[in-house]
Amino acid sequence: MKNKTISPVGKSVPRIDAVEKAAGQATYVYDFKPQGTLVGKMLRSPHAHARILKIDTSQALVLAGVRAVVTALDAPKVKFGSNEYFFPYTVDQYPLEFEKVRYIGDEIAAVAAIDEETAQRALSLIKVEYEVLPAVFDPVEAMKPHSPQIHSSMNNIGVMLPVHFGNPDKALKESDYVREDVFYLPSAAHCALEPHVSVAQYETSTDKITLWTSTQAPFKVREALAKTLEMDSCDIRVLKLHVGGGFGGKLEMLPMDFAACLLSKKAQGAPVKIVCDRKEEFSYTRRKHPMIYKLKSGVKKDGTIMAITGEVIADGGAYCSYGPTVIAAAIMRIFMVYKIEHIRMMGFRVYTNNPVSGAIRGFGGVQSGFAVESHMDLLARGIGLDPLEFRLKNATDPDMVTVNKLIISSNGLKDCIRKAGQISDWSKKNGIKREVPKDIVRGIGMGVAADVMGSKMYKSHESAGTIIKVEEDGSVYCFTGAADTGQGSDTVMAQIAAQELGVAYERVRIRAADTETTPFDTGSFASRVTFISGNATKNAAGDAKRQILEVVAQEFKLGSENLDIKDEAVVNISTGSEVLSFDKAVELCYSFNYGRLIIGRGSYNPKTTPIDFRTGQGNISGSYGFEAQIAEVEVNKKTGQVKLVKMVDVHDIGYPINPASVHGQIEGSIIMGMGYTLFEDLKFTDGRVQNPSFSKYRIPRSVDAVPIESVFIETNDPQGPFGAKGMGEASLLPTAAAIANAIHDAVGIRIKDLPITREKILKAIKDKENNTKNEG
Amino acid sequence: MKTVQFRINSKAHELQVNDNELLIETLRERLGFLGTKESCQEGECGTCTVLIDGKNVLSCLILTASLNDKEVTTIEGLACGSDLHPLQKAFVEKGAIQCGFCTPGMILSSLALLKKKPSPSEKEIAAGLDGNLCRCTGYLKIFEAVKEAAIHMNKETKG
Repeated sequence: MKNKTISPVGKSVPRIDAVEKAAGQATYVYDFKPQGTLVGKMLRSPHAHARILKIDTSQALVLAGVRAVVTALDAPKVKFGSNEYFFPYTVDQYPLEFEKVRYIGDEIAAVAAIDEETAQRALSLIKVEYEVLPAVFDPVEAMKPHSPQIHSSMNNIGVMLPVHFGNPDKALKESDYVREDVFYLPSAAHCALEPHVSVAQYETSTDKITLWTSTQAPFKVREALAKTLEMDSCDIRVLKLHVGGGFGGKLEMLPMDFAACLLSKKAQGAPVKIVCDRKEEFSYTRRKHPMIYKLKSGVKKDGTIMAITGEVIADGGAYCSYGPTVIAAAIMRIFMVYKIEHIRMMGFRVYTNNPVSGAIRGFGGVQSGFAVESHMDLLARGIGLDPLEFRLKNATDPDMVTVNKLIISSNGLKDCIRKAGQISDWSKKNGIKREVPKDIVRGIGMGVAADVMGSKMYKSHESAGTIIKVEEDGSVYCFTGAADTGQGSDTVMAQIAAQELGVAYERVRIRAADTETTPFDTGSFASRVTFISGNATKNAAGDAKRQILEVVAQEFKLGSENLDIKDEAVVNISTGSEVLSFDKAVELCYSFNYGRLIIGRGSYNPKTTPIDFRTGQGNISGSYGFEAQIAEVEVNKKTGQVKLVKMVDVHDIGYPINPASVHGQIEGSIIMGMGYTLFEDLKFTDGRVQNPSFSKYRIPRSVDAVPIESVFIETNDPQGPFGAKGMGEASLLPTAAAIANAIHDAVGIRIKDLPITREKILKAIKDKENNTKNEG
Repeated sequence: MKTVQFRINSKAHELQVNDNELLIETLRERLGFLGTKESCQEGECGTCTVLIDGKNVLSCLILTASLNDKEVTTIEGLACGSDLHPLQKAFVEKGAIQCGFCTPGMILSSLALLKKKPSPSEKEIAAGLDGNLCRCTGYLKIFEAVKEAAIHMNKETKG
């Protein structure tokens, strides 16, 4: 070991995989190509909605260099879906379609050939006869009675989730101020730099599959493959290498994964690699759910929220994917931040013939963040209350159960709000339109949000598991199901394992996210990994430590309860003295008299309760994180340009296992959130993506980065590993509203549809001036 | 087909290349330099950045046939065994690496920037890295890493 970082939890240790990434030696599935790998390509529908009459692959099959062609006929015709357990009716997609195609890009067939050119030619030789059907692209239109029927669900409503508590109509009548707002949220793309890529190898002699894929959730992919191929899970191995970003886009099986396996089988077991190019990434993988978010709420003069009512209409695209989870997140997150007694919300996820909407960082919480936090700002202004004071008045508290039975334990939200206000000098800036220099007005705005640590929407349990083996030479191997996609989970697992075991961080080696060799983990989503997988790792390390201490206790005739391992040594707790070094202790375990291999195991299932999807009741997460975000902007009244001057983010993260990593997640999230607020807009016309490239779909570049002051509030969560909560998504939830609220503060205009462009600002300023003229 | 003689990371190469062979293909498919990544294949993201005679260029837009007598630097050319280049060290220590896919290109663009501007301001760093997309970090820790590396590299030059 070159370095020895003891007690690593709480320290910004360098990431465990940073060196190989900096040296260009980290292998991604994008780089992976075993000998004899064939090039796989998908045949996709050119029509948004059509019946398939005939598929003729005969010409493609005989093209020189083509080793396999597959259609739905080559596999059992089984549908899959990503939210199956709680929403069986959302299982709606065949991996290869043979009856109907429902979006431009819908997968019909696949080829495997010796090179790119041959594969491309083979695709062009597959003849498909379509009966083109009328298509519908707008979710409101799609719900109307005579709209084209996309699946079998009535009015194309794939998912309908209500939330209902108390008596909202009565509470609205008792309110001093009621207002209605409608917000429009566009689609967006994940833009992970490593595209979707899979390599499949089918061992034809034993009917076993290995799939290497750029994924956040290998166990989820395996489950779907087993279902659609009608194979046993244990005969399918899914593993990841380094992953170049996920952000929710790599959280499920895609048809290309299925196709790669099938092609390999047909090609006598040759490995098949399918890569999405950037255009395919934008057009045919997953996208953010566009939403129409309607809210009508009432407040008392003193700022108390009386009732919240509303409706969300989400454009789900052609298949369901993670739709239910997105809708639930869109309408249920509000309970985490505000004390609410009376609420009625209805979320509709509507099928359209657009590409599939799925999970993307925040799962519906970004859309609801913009709508709700803008609406709250307007409610506060409506009664002349400082928006910060309004948040404080209604914010949730520690150790409370909400009306929908969320169990909130540690909760630093109010501290976050106060501290953010203090750091940003809120009271001196809010409501003061500072115009300096001329035509450039400064404003300040805030938004609040909550994190979940997982969400009980995937399976009956949400558990994660870890195994730790300590070898004779003192090296520590940690096998965890958690998938690192760049967020740093491998590093955090190593820190937690090292801390609990009492050894240096550098001792720990991580082997992760392989369905064959690591314990189960549902995947990297809903900011669950530090909390859930971290606890599993802590438990495993604790188990390994106990085994070592048992041996030492026996040898030295001490009570094992009197011993601990700290800073690379076994210590006597009462005297504080060192009994022997960690290395010597391990040697002892493996020695002649003991021969004790050290294998620690741990698992963790968070304290969640089943959700009643008829009302929205149930504790969805083991704990909750909180934050307040304040944006300072400059609005140029002449050009409409908005410059984000500074972001302040104060976050209750429980305890930071790796502060640099936590700050990194926060900074990355805020910049991503800023992109969605100001310029990201995935545009569709007649079901086709209009801007499927980095030049046309603008994501934040280095010149767009803004100063961010990121501050932690440590509430030391009673359930989190070392008090830590999760961190992954929350910091992009309030960003759009914080910016929109700041713009309102600056120039008195309210933009309710994203992205906030110059044109929209100029138009709103002009309209305001005209209204003032008319009134005056 | 054309014969081209050029250097990669100070080692001489002589290759027969097709007229339309892109440098990214030559590097990754033919020569096994997998450190140079690829994300858009149309010169819009900077992920495939390498240095040619010290200047940062997009290898997905360069024809290998045009590289006679040129010196190509890929990410593999920076470290000496496990002795990392100051930029690599700074990226590691400052938490400027998350998924790592943009990292090789980002480090090489940073190197080209520091050659032109040995003590850049944050604004100059941002402008210098404008061609390299990162979706994970939000860029702030990358700026810190470049600043840190600059200090270290200037000390080395002086000392």
